[in-house]
Amino acid sequence: MILADIFELWNSAWPAGLIMLGLGIGFAVVLLIASIKLKVEVDPKVEQIHKALPNIDCGACGFAGCSSYAKAVAEKPSLIGLCAPGGAQTAAKIANILNLQISDSGPTKRPIVHCRAHTNDKTFYAKYQGIPTCISANALVNVQACKFGCLGFGDCVSACKFDALHIIDGLAVVDYKKCTGCAACSKACPRNLIEMVPFAYENMMTVACSSKENGKTTRSICKVGCIGCGLCAKQTDIFTIEDNLARLDYGKYKPTEQTETALNKCPTGVIVYRGKSAPAAKHPALKKQPPD
Amino acid sequence: MDTLDTLLMAFISIVLINNLVLTKFLGICPYLGVSGRIDMAFGMGMAVTFVVTLSGTMTWMIDHWILMPMNLEVTRYVCFILVIAGAVQLVEMYIRKFFPSLYESFGIFLPLITTNCAILGLCLFVNLWGIDNLPEAAVLSFGAGIGFTMAICIMAGIRENLNMADVPRCLKGAPITLITAGLLTLAFMGFAGMIK
Repeated sequence: MILADIFELWNSAWPAGLIMLGLGIGFAVVLLIASIKLKVEVDPKVEQIHKALPNIDCGACGFAGCSSYAKAVAEKPSLIGLCAPGGAQTAAKIANILNLQISDSGPTKRPIVHCRAHTNDKTFYAKYQGIPTCISANALVNVQACKFGCLGFGDCVSACKFDALHIIDGLAVVDYKKCTGCAACSKACPRNLIEMVPFAYENMMTVACSSKENGKTTRSICKVGCIGCGLCAKQTDIFTIEDNLARLDYGKYKPTEQTETALNKCPTGVIVYRGKSAPAAKHPALKKQPPD
Repeated sequence: MDTLDTLLMAFISIVLINNLVLTKFLGICPYLGVSGRIDMAFGMGMAVTFVVTLSGTMTWMIDHWILMPMNLEVTRYVCFILVIAGAVQLVEMYIRKFFPSLYESFGIFLPLITTNCAILGLCLFVNLWGIDNLPEAAVLSFGAGIGFTMAICIMAGIRENLNMADVPRCLKGAPITLITAGLLTLAFMGFAGMIK
């Protein structure tokens, strides 16, 4: 009885199997011919480089994605090192594939936002109710009193593919643990506030302000702006004052006693640490309060 | 003359009235996934048109000349998928050879045409509607591809302009896209009943 069932099943199943097999072979032959006729020669080096890349298609290198960068770098080895998320490791791997030696490209670059004014620190003449992006807000002259400060609409946040930037109380803050240094935020900022800085140390000191107004004006419109007093430049020569704004020479920066004194002497507290384990900046308003 | 009439009717009906995307809700994945830019949408539409024309015609032939005489309709789905997968492979090789930039921009969506349910749907609809001559099946298949291209291009055009619109924050991204798709579908419902 069971045997008969099995036979019946077999009898009705084999033509189906045969047809599937026939169709399969038919298509296999067609595809085989097509694959020979339509063969695309791919440089094996391009594939190897593509594998060595992080494959996140961030666009930091200036190409559309990892695959197009791999193609370009195989043809033009001078493009090695453009991959910011991969950093020195990826550059070394690509050089290895292309049989090249590369020199040390220096410390990895990370963005620093040259502003530290949260909403409460800024001065506004009116409320902006236009399209909520920095690039459109920036077209309006008096969108906020400071012509240089962070607008806080987060064009950089939407440019970041790694969730490493957030607007915290009206200011873009970089999360250095997630940042890969692709520089997308730096390109997105219409006020050019975000600078790619070579991080020689885990935490870098910086002047978190871009205001080129004179000290009096800056003080009247922002609680935390750089007034260009030059106290830091008196401590150590890595600080320079230009256009009423202190700037730090990141190439010469080393954590020394002088830089620490400069940080503590700064009357507006605009010299701060930025980095993975940067200590929280002391707010000048909090400094005056007695500790409890 | 009568045949030409039928073919024309079949074409208009599959493009406008029984549009696979807008009235049968098939192929929504590429419809939402690749409709960001109009040039990519058009390329996708062309690829789908090619695949659906080829596989729609071939499945009709296999169905009518092999499966039906041998009473093997049960294997219809498997055979159809085999045909579609083969056709997609062919398209992929062709695009890679002659349009490398288009191939790059499609990425994963090109092999995913295999699982585009609009194509399998069309192959099965041709059977369901009892189409019994080859020209009509071919026209229906081609028309389905044109209908898909039209739908995805309209969507891409709207989405390109939507990028510049001030969309409420809670509706940004997927929600407004789905609402747009719904409204577009409603608009196309107006064609229903135009041809009996």
